[in-house]
Amino acid sequence: MTAEISKDMERELDACFEALRAAREEPSPELLARVLADGYAEQDARTAVAPAAPAPRRGWLRNLIDMIGGWPALAGLATATLAGVWIGYNPPAAFDSLTLALLNESYGYDVGLSASILDLDEVQADG
Amino acid sequence: MPLDANPEISDDALLAQYAGGDRAAARILTLRLTPRVLALAVRMLGDRSEAEDVAQESMLRLWKMAPDWRPGEAQVSTWLYRVAANLCTDRLRRRRGVGIEEAFGEGAEPADEQPAVEERMHADGRARALHQALSELPERQRQAVVLRHLEGLSNPEIAAVMEIGIEAVESLTARGKRALVALLGRRRAELGLSDDG
Repeated sequence: MTAEISKDMERELDACFEALRAAREEPSPELLARVLADGYAEQDARTAVAPAAPAPRRGWLRNLIDMIGGWPALAGLATATLAGVWIGYNPPAAFDSLTLALLNESYGYDVGLSASILDLDEVQADG
Repeated sequence: MPLDANPEISDDALLAQYAGGDRAAARILTLRLTPRVLALAVRMLGDRSEAEDVAQESMLRLWKMAPDWRPGEAQVSTWLYRVAANLCTDRLRRRRGVGIEEAFGEGAEPADEQPAVEERMHADGRARALHQALSELPERQRQAVVLRHLEGLSNPEIAAVMEIGIEAVESLTARGKRALVALLGRRRAELGLSDDG
């Protein structure tokens, strides 16, 4: 190791450090503006690429409804189904006339006929 | 130079606020930290324009790192000084066009890099003399001396910045000061330092 610094030299060096600290270079407004612009840009970039909330999962019913054509189509389908059930239960007279003319049978459910066909007593007696 | 409007808020807290999108935190960190990295870069490089580039690049890396910062593990300023010092080292190496061993060896900065800063520097002969003497120190000694005696960091803080032990820091600063004394001694007569007291 070399010789220690004398007190006088130490004081001189401290005075030099003091002078250089006082002459410290400060950032210009332009540099500060550039740094801040970078900071804002990074914040904006992160906001832009932040992951969006995951889309809710679609259920099988929703998929089916969409496949049919959405709620309006589903409403039409339901109406048609109800109409079909009603017609089956209580057919209009004109419909019955048509089936009688074409098939020589009533469209409606003939309780008397069914009863005679399914008359178990007669079946057993015949058997 | 605008003063730090919120000196009581830690760098850690500000960085977390910045990462959360707080514009005010970005402003405070800019005003608080840019002067520090610029001062180090000017002393390391001796060139204002290059030092500004280093300061801006250091701060950009801080902005990018903010979301990953883990508070309490290290000081933000220490991390930033390290980034700036490494960027300065890279530039000095490129400037010399030599390998790492030579870049860290003894040697003076090119003389034509100095006047730009010195012209802006205070007319104080001591400041100018020390600035010139610093530029002649080996890079690691210069970095340690600047951080200790101009930026006011403690030896443990400098050890963290330079990623070396505290004893190595003490050795670097001691050798740096002795070299500065020798360099300043050569100019004492022409600067009249003794007469100025």
